[in-house]
Amino acid sequence: MGLLPQAHRGMQLSIKSIMIATLFVPAIYGNASANTYSKESTIELKVVDKTIKGKVTDSESGEGLPGVNVIVRGTSQGTTTDGTGNFTLSVPDNSSVVVFSFVGYTSQEIPVGNRSTINLALAPDTKVLSEVVVIGYGTAKKSDLTGSVSSIKEAELQERPATSLNQMMAGRMAGVQVNNNSGRPGGRTTVRIRGFSSINSSNNPLYVVDGVLLPQSTGDQFTNAIDFINPNDIVSVEVLKDASSTAIYGARGANGVILVTTRKGKSGESRITYDTQFSVNTIGPNKPQVLNAKEYLAVEDLSYANIKKYDPAGWASGKYASLDPMVRRKAYSAKFPGVFDANLNPLYDTDWFRESSQNKLSQNHQLGISGGNERTQYSLSLGYRDDQGLIKTSYMKRYSGRFTIDDQVKSWLKISGTLSYNNQSDRLVDVNDAVARQIVEDFPFLPVKYADGTFANNRDYPLAEGTMSSVHRLMGRQYIQNTQTTLGSLSATLNLAPGLQFKSILGVNIQTQEVNQSQTRTLNIGGNGNASVNNRKETFWSLENLLTYNKQFGPDHSVDGLLGISWQETNVFSIGGGINNFATDYFGFNNLGAGATNPSIGSGAFRFAFNSYFGRINYGYKNRYLFTATARADGSSKFGENNKFAVFPSAAIAWRVSEENFLKNNPIISNLKIRGSYGLTGNSEIPSYASLSLLSSNYATIYNDNRVSGTGINRLANPNLRWEKTAQTDAGIEIGLFKGRITLEADYYYRLTTDMLLDAPVPRSSGYATIRRNVGSMENKGFEFAINTVNIEKGSFSWTSNLNLSLNRNKVLSLATPSDIFNVGGPNFTNPTNIIRVGEPVGSFWGLTRLGVWSEAERDEAAQFRSYRNGLTMLPGDVKYLDVNGDRAITDADRSIIGNGSPKGWGAVNNNFKFGNFDATLEIQFMYGNKVMLMNLHPSEDRQTLANSYTSVLNAWTPTNQNSQIAEIRDTRAGYVTNVDTQWIKNGSFLRGRNALIGYTFPSAVTNRLKLNRLRVYASAQNFFLKVEDPIVGDPEVTPTNQGGGNSAFSQGMIWHNYPKPTTYMFGLQIGL
Amino acid sequence: MRQSFVKNISRVLLCSIVLTGPMGCSGFLEEKDPSNLTPESFYTIPDHAEAALASVYADLRFVGGGAGIFSANWQLLEALTGTSTTETAQNSDLNNLYSLVQDGNTVHIVNYWNGLYRVIANANQVLEKVPPITPMNDVQKSKILAEARFLRASAYFTAVQLWGDIPLITTPQTATTDQFSPTRTPQDAVYKLIVEDLIAAEAAGLPWMDISGRANLAAVKTQLAKVYLTMAGFPLSKGASHYKLAADKAFEVITYANANPSTINLFTNYKDVHSESTENRLEHLFMIQYNTVVAGNPMENFYPNFKPVTFNGPGGTGSSVPTPAFYKSYQTGDLRAKDQDGYFYTSYFNNGNGAPFELGAPYVFKHFNQTSAGRSGVAGTRQNNLNVPQIRYAETLLIYAEAQNEVGGPTQAAYDAMKRIRDRATLTTPALGDFGTASFREAVWRERWKELCYEQITWFDMLRLRKVYNETTNGFDNFVGHINLSSNQPLQQKHLLLPIPTQEMLNNPNLKTQNPGYN
Repeated sequence: MGLLPQAHRGMQLSIKSIMIATLFVPAIYGNASANTYSKESTIELKVVDKTIKGKVTDSESGEGLPGVNVIVRGTSQGTTTDGTGNFTLSVPDNSSVVVFSFVGYTSQEIPVGNRSTINLALAPDTKVLSEVVVIGYGTAKKSDLTGSVSSIKEAELQERPATSLNQMMAGRMAGVQVNNNSGRPGGRTTVRIRGFSSINSSNNPLYVVDGVLLPQSTGDQFTNAIDFINPNDIVSVEVLKDASSTAIYGARGANGVILVTTRKGKSGESRITYDTQFSVNTIGPNKPQVLNAKEYLAVEDLSYANIKKYDPAGWASGKYASLDPMVRRKAYSAKFPGVFDANLNPLYDTDWFRESSQNKLSQNHQLGISGGNERTQYSLSLGYRDDQGLIKTSYMKRYSGRFTIDDQVKSWLKISGTLSYNNQSDRLVDVNDAVARQIVEDFPFLPVKYADGTFANNRDYPLAEGTMSSVHRLMGRQYIQNTQTTLGSLSATLNLAPGLQFKSILGVNIQTQEVNQSQTRTLNIGGNGNASVNNRKETFWSLENLLTYNKQFGPDHSVDGLLGISWQETNVFSIGGGINNFATDYFGFNNLGAGATNPSIGSGAFRFAFNSYFGRINYGYKNRYLFTATARADGSSKFGENNKFAVFPSAAIAWRVSEENFLKNNPIISNLKIRGSYGLTGNSEIPSYASLSLLSSNYATIYNDNRVSGTGINRLANPNLRWEKTAQTDAGIEIGLFKGRITLEADYYYRLTTDMLLDAPVPRSSGYATIRRNVGSMENKGFEFAINTVNIEKGSFSWTSNLNLSLNRNKVLSLATPSDIFNVGGPNFTNPTNIIRVGEPVGSFWGLTRLGVWSEAERDEAAQFRSYRNGLTMLPGDVKYLDVNGDRAITDADRSIIGNGSPKGWGAVNNNFKFGNFDATLEIQFMYGNKVMLMNLHPSEDRQTLANSYTSVLNAWTPTNQNSQIAEIRDTRAGYVTNVDTQWIKNGSFLRGRNALIGYTFPSAVTNRLKLNRLRVYASAQNFFLKVEDPIVGDPEVTPTNQGGGNSAFSQGMIWHNYPKPTTYMFGLQIGL
Repeated sequence: MRQSFVKNISRVLLCSIVLTGPMGCSGFLEEKDPSNLTPESFYTIPDHAEAALASVYADLRFVGGGAGIFSANWQLLEALTGTSTTETAQNSDLNNLYSLVQDGNTVHIVNYWNGLYRVIANANQVLEKVPPITPMNDVQKSKILAEARFLRASAYFTAVQLWGDIPLITTPQTATTDQFSPTRTPQDAVYKLIVEDLIAAEAAGLPWMDISGRANLAAVKTQLAKVYLTMAGFPLSKGASHYKLAADKAFEVITYANANPSTINLFTNYKDVHSESTENRLEHLFMIQYNTVVAGNPMENFYPNFKPVTFNGPGGTGSSVPTPAFYKSYQTGDLRAKDQDGYFYTSYFNNGNGAPFELGAPYVFKHFNQTSAGRSGVAGTRQNNLNVPQIRYAETLLIYAEAQNEVGGPTQAAYDAMKRIRDRATLTTPALGDFGTASFREAVWRERWKELCYEQITWFDMLRLRKVYNETTNGFDNFVGHINLSSNQPLQQKHLLLPIPTQEMLNNPNLKTQNPGYN
């Protein structure tokens, strides 16, 4: 697969140039178009029925406006105004409507009627500045914000249809990193806002849906409550990043807060919408390249022949006779005829990736009905989604329903209610690495099934690793996660006096999750089939009461304030059972009573609660100087007796420079705001009861061959346990140029996490391993940059771009003891893969440095090395490591930090085009400076013939190819070497075509005839290309399978047989009635 | 006017109810774990004493715990001896042990330290919390305390042999107790506690044997004999006095066995050493209990590398296999080296019960469970419930033979003890008169190597004797300088002790000195 150094360099150049081009294209064209929009252009018109003329002026200055778009609605007929604001336009008839639009001004629609002249004054659009965003416990005008808040509106959310909110957010906002870790339906996402803030506690942000906090605890497979919300119901998302915006969420704000607003009814005409999508997953970029049948068998022949070099004594003793490929193939053929021909040549050449993948049609249907009058508004939505994964048998099916109602009961009382139910069923094939790994390692010479219908497996071949094939695993194992979520809220708003409002919100989230598993008798040989069921119910409620006041004092002073009180409680109860040994595979997990051996049962319960008091005050002076202060006193049951409550304050200040006289009405700078904030937030996401001294009753011993349960030591008490605190400083600038044609927002932040909640290691002589303590500190500092530009807006053509870029640097400042923390990160087979060390970023990669392979010329030197190859002498052809301490032994002392999976920077460039009724979107995502650790190279490159290998082994060391990083091929039993080392570390910088979409909205002539309001069709391709700096297998944007929570949060960038990410082609239809 | 007043009042009332109403009670933020107990609420009735003791037994299974890929903790005590090697190279910690380049990060060493101290902590919990339980039957209480003492002594005995001076913790710990960050206690004092514990356990009225698998008198006495034997040798070198103590204590067991041959005896064949049906009986004085209802046998790293010797097909790792040299060192005719009849196998049945096939090399049969794996014509049960032997009567005999010889040369009883081991192996033994003290000493050592191999005993023999069996000469080399044939590496002075785990030294500022030769 060409791991050649030259190939690297070629790739590097091309990626850099593409990245540079993509980054700067909008800027270049942005400038160019600023000059061109004033030029005249002509548009050919096919139908010329009536000509109208007119002049467009600025409503404030009264001067003519050049470059205004003048378009006949529902057609592509249009023109732009000339240098003095005059225009001439042909319209089909008197019923036509002319649309006047210009960046920075409010659009107007004028019916032609029998007029032949239309003179019009366009008013500057203050929408950009007066845009309302949702903030903690309220809303604010974007212009009044003192903190750092990113938002995405519905239109953007709908550009990239996705299964979950997190997937829709990916690449949209600076400072928000969304990693999509699995290619399975629904994906597996991790969201980090401004880096890692915690080692032992959660790094997940807090989600708040319509004012109701979602529980942060994780379900099975690290699923989160947000994963079970229908993304089609979401109309806007705001991400609170700095302490000024998050401190109102106190002890839960440290990882950022994501505020989700869902659809509500509007007064006016009732509307019906129906959206549907059909999609197909296909094999995505960077598919693994494995040996084909002929290549594999040749490698096996060579590996056998090389035994005599690597273990001459063993070879001479006849120990390896049974490894002779001819002996193995003959023995195999005797048992499984029809796989090799009479001359022992292979009859099959199976592509296991193709055999285990499918291109099945997925569908999504969303129906929405909404309406209402001045007093009452309602909305109803129903959804059905059936996602068929790229890998066979994997799916996600979701049924969802939602109802909202708002009623102005009295002039002083408004009530609102929402109720949603979501029923989701996921069949997972990547709960562990087995399937994805087996796709690579299945022998290519095997058929999928033998003639008798049984599955062919690697284990059938003598002296191979005893594994089951990928297809066998897919068909034989069920892992089904059924999740039901009921989310509801009731609120009442009372107007107590002018400007004084009281609001009470009761929120409930009840989630039940069943995990049902089974394996067939042929797959689970040891247990003769097994099955288990686990059920977990999480009940959350919250009651929050808010008192708000806002008032303008004279022309210069505006004040608004908030006081609140909140209670929240979560109860979790789980129960599970499992059993082995079934007489038939018929039952699956549906009849545990039919199993015979080793039944197991268990249950557990826990509870936690919060009680909080909070407030905020905003003060504005002359609309130029804005000041915000917030504070929250949070109490949590999880903390020690001595530290139940803590206070989290914040303050922020902003200066709207553009409101100052010297900048007001400046033709270039339409908005300029400088802001700064500082505040404290907390992290309370530790398990319940961590402060108590506890015994465990889960000990079990055996007397008389029977299970006897025991009770023994479990946890050390820490009555002083308290919050983890993050202090964050933020400085930001917001700039709007050319009446909002270019908007730019940049932030610098510094986050310092102290009192870090750590499972601090204690002397093991106590019998305990750790104590939960508040020790340790960590910093994150970073820079965020977002720019939106209108590059071209000319006639019916427009092109807008946005670019966001985030940089984050993490460093561990102190830990509980000088002792490094291992056992974090990915699958720690062979050696620890990651380390947390003071002075380094969290989750650094840890390993040896591979210098290459010992050459013939180095034979004597190699022989002096204390063997790390099964106790045999090191030879030319064996891996050569850097011997850091010079003791001629390769041990832990020779390991060092060899990389980090966190990127230096990441972001996306999104381009939107509109041409008449066509619209198009192109989203390019990038990441750079991130290393990936290819754990796959351990089984698939460092050792051969126990299973199939990557084609890179064809470039292994030979006496005539000594300049290789890969050891000479030999049977593993003759002694080999494998360690986490630099050969597994690659530059994972990448550029991804995340989404390309083209849509067409039918003109009103057509929709009117169909009695429709709107009809749009679109097609898109997602993940349609991927360019990675170094050639790697799979996708660099990963964490290992079955990881993502707890300490494995630090497995960022570790590739270990993930569910491959597909390229998805989609077709969609949107109908509005 | 009046109406709006009423309206305002009702609004205020509504607010205050909502504000303070449902949750205005204390205790909302208190927590109590419904699925775990606290030490304050436990240890009140005899059942709690039993449950506490069960946790100590449960912890013994740490030896079978994982030590990275393809390895279990017990391989620490095999890899260093030079009698075994590996067929895989995936576990660098295990590779380092084979190559004798272990350090304070080697995971097997760390896991042994952690595992032993957890056994000790749970035993300390029993020894502190059980005595105050009242009312409680004295016999039951005394038995529980005796078992806990035996288990604590055994854990300390292993630890002190591996690391020398070690922290001596005798009470339950919390973050504020004195011994939470302990210093190293001189090994003399550690041995003193071990002997005290065992003597107390001996006096507590335990039955001679206990087929349920719990500690018994025969195990306590043999363990005490072994402790004395070890104290007699390096590094305490207490010499004759302790050889005598060891011989006398072992002889108490032999005397009982001679009088009750159906209770304590040698098995007549080697298959019974690794059979589910003979567990905790006759020769097996003490074993770590395994059953798949809790945990299956953990010795499967002795299986060959991907050769289908069990029902489970080609699943073994071969990460501990005999060196050809050690296998070949068995005398011709020694039944212990005979394929499937002794402690080794060189052929087996495909998938446990299929066609016989040659393995090409010898593998360890001593822990091979034919009941679960399958045997000729009989399918395996798939449930590997085989226990891991800790003390066999064969060792009692060899302890006696060795110790008695040191007290006053080979006696008839000492000779008989050793001869029983050789008789079972169908070996002829020279007459008593042909042995002098020195030749008898080496003869017993040789039997220890051949009889007790792969039972995690040999390494301790190497440490206390500072002698190592030389497979080529059939004699004994000094420890320092002996070449382990598994890796062709020489043993060094520093190998007499293991390094203290690096992390432990970082986490406990009072552990100031590492064992010599390690850093």
